[in-house]
Amino acid sequence: MRNFKKTLALLSSLAMAGTMFAGCGGGGDTTATTTAGGDSADTTAAAGGDSAETTAAAEGGDSAAAADEGKVFNIYAWNEEFKGFFEKYYTVPEGITVNWIINPSDGGVYQEKLDEALLAQADAAADDKIDMFLAEADYIKKYTDTDATLDVTSIGVQKADTMYQYTVDAASDANGVMKGVSFQCCPAALIYRRSIAKDVLGTDDPAAVQDALSDWSKFESVAATAKEKGYYMTASYAETYRTWSNNATEAWVDANNNLVVPQAMKDYIAQAKNFMDKGYTLTAGVWDDEKTAQMFADGKTMCFFGPAWYYNFSMGNAQDPEKGCSGDWAIVEGPQAYFWGGTWLLGATGTDNPTMLADIMNTFTVNEEVCTNLVKNEMQFSNNTKVNEAVAADPEYGNAFLGNQNDTAVFCELAKNIKFENKTKYDQLLNENITTVFLDYFKGTISEEEAYANFYKFVSEKYPAVTVPAQ
Amino acid sequence: MSNNKRKSISYAKWGYIFIAPFFIVFIFCSLIPLVSTFYNSFFENYRDGLTQVGPNFVGLENYKKLFTPDNSGNIQVIDYTVNTMIMWVMGAIPQLVVALLLAIFFTANRLNIKGQAFFKTVIYMPNLIMASAFSMLFFTLFSNVGPINQIISSMTGEVYDFFGKTVSVRSLVAFVNFLMWFGNTTILLMAGIMGIDQSLFEAASIDGATSTQVLFKITLPLLMPIIVYVAITALIGGLQMFDVPQILTAGHGNPNRTSMTLVMYLNNYISTSKNFGMGGAISAIMFVITGALSFVVYKSLVTDDSPKKKVKKSKGAELL
Repeated sequence: MRNFKKTLALLSSLAMAGTMFAGCGGGGDTTATTTAGGDSADTTAAAGGDSAETTAAAEGGDSAAAADEGKVFNIYAWNEEFKGFFEKYYTVPEGITVNWIINPSDGGVYQEKLDEALLAQADAAADDKIDMFLAEADYIKKYTDTDATLDVTSIGVQKADTMYQYTVDAASDANGVMKGVSFQCCPAALIYRRSIAKDVLGTDDPAAVQDALSDWSKFESVAATAKEKGYYMTASYAETYRTWSNNATEAWVDANNNLVVPQAMKDYIAQAKNFMDKGYTLTAGVWDDEKTAQMFADGKTMCFFGPAWYYNFSMGNAQDPEKGCSGDWAIVEGPQAYFWGGTWLLGATGTDNPTMLADIMNTFTVNEEVCTNLVKNEMQFSNNTKVNEAVAADPEYGNAFLGNQNDTAVFCELAKNIKFENKTKYDQLLNENITTVFLDYFKGTISEEEAYANFYKFVSEKYPAVTVPAQ
Repeated sequence: MSNNKRKSISYAKWGYIFIAPFFIVFIFCSLIPLVSTFYNSFFENYRDGLTQVGPNFVGLENYKKLFTPDNSGNIQVIDYTVNTMIMWVMGAIPQLVVALLLAIFFTANRLNIKGQAFFKTVIYMPNLIMASAFSMLFFTLFSNVGPINQIISSMTGEVYDFFGKTVSVRSLVAFVNFLMWFGNTTILLMAGIMGIDQSLFEAASIDGATSTQVLFKITLPLLMPIIVYVAITALIGGLQMFDVPQILTAGHGNPNRTSMTLVMYLNNYISTSKNFGMGGAISAIMFVITGALSFVVYKSLVTDDSPKKKVKKSKGAELL
């Protein structure tokens, strides 16, 4: 009987502990979503938890919209980044309500929701029609090449000379018709911790650091030194992925819709395996908490890779006033110049607010005041060469986060080399998942052949139109 | 006589009207979707970007594709069925055993546990939390930088990669499912035990039966119908296992797809390309598997002479 009671007490206390933890789980859900990544949002969608609809009340201002146009402006986006700039720098015409429909990008959830809405666009009520939606470099082609997007020059959007050519190329269809604009240009850099660089290389001067890291073999030898001193070169097995993928000389999918793993990705796989085996990198995913924890002052990681939006939007831990290390960073070109991401604003066919749509696009590309604010106050690299060059030449300007380095000057150089080539509409899931599917191989659980087979299986499940090699 | 006849007809009519809501709901919400799933499985029907492909009739092509072995000779659908069953069994057996024990404790007159309502609520609680939230919690707890690994690394100096090993991922999935469902099972089994005639227990104790004898000769045989019900519903639920492994492994069934379940496989087809053809084929296969396994479970638990008869016999024997 005593035993019974004891067992019972033990079991019920276990159960209680379980419920206690579970309580915490429910509360901490928002941060959790980013950790798991992947398709997790699918399940939450069932519970109605994932699409955050927020409505920004219209504020007074000059009424740019024609009187007979719609009263609701619907914007589809996958995060709050552009929403922040929009609310700060764009004056919504009087009488118009801006409606943000935000779904996470992970696992293609954003595109699923957007596709449903676009396909229903013709039958939707005027106020429910999408007016503008945001798209990323990985999947912009899926939309620009269809009738779902609108020739924005026809509604008064300027194809300005100050735009970076690649941003125009990316937003144009096969015939060169411009379907949208980007408010940012995304040359990407190697972002390093100054204090760790001093310890490992003896200097934190960007020119000297660039010298030491100017190609991959130098990068690897520095990684070896860093490891000896107790540091990690990178925090994620996928950290360098974009430097390879966005310089690929072949597309993922060829003209006959066959999947071809480009040589650049194979090189990445070899490098990631090597770095994992030698312990130069942590085994976190590119968006994992384990990686972002490395951005705190007590982090042990020397290099991160990313464009301006990365340290503005994704390095919050480094900017933490207590645990962060703002000012202890700097950027250099690194082993290979590349670009990463970028947000394009696309006009949706069927919009009932063409005037406002054009006005927004022009505001964030050719309005110099707004672009200067984006650069100076928001750590963005704008899509306006004139503004960027003015800031680059400004001796007064320095980015406090980067120890007063003039990052715009660095990016101005890097931006010259960006080409938007070899992209397909399948890129997002392929790019996101080749790294995660190969993780088992990097960890040594399975062979390289098995990892390729798993990747082919994944692709054949996700994209029936793409032919994969027999697995 | 004619009067009599009319009466009986009119009663039957009311009977049909009373059961009609169920059948109407069943036809529209279960039967039609079920049939249309089978129907869809014979078509090529998916979306390529924003372009709709099909529906084109392809016969059994989708099934053929599912049953084509890969280079290493494995048929994926079978692999994922096995994964699902392994994880289900790992969770369901402890779930049944623990639930049975708890149900017996709670209903035992001789123990007379205090605060029953409280404990019942507590053990049922995990079931009220969304499975996704629960798995998210476990993902965070057992991640490489999570609290469990902090404890492990402070003791051993090394981090245990829970999500990199087949055994640990499967165990975690099974454990989460166990934790979520044992309360539910306990409540069901308790209801079953409480439905057993108290006089049988009294008679047994007068005859000097031990607790073990009571358990195996009275409680379990009389509980069989409920156990069969619990086992079959748990099996059906288990075959549809999705949210927990999906979230714990970010949809990949890591490592090496060993924790990929059938519904995760289905979800891969449906979520991006709306591939209703292949999705329908997998669902149809799942339907067959579920039916077959339920039949096996039913047959193996329900023996020829109904449990009731058996107990009556044994009771009779004891009373003699």
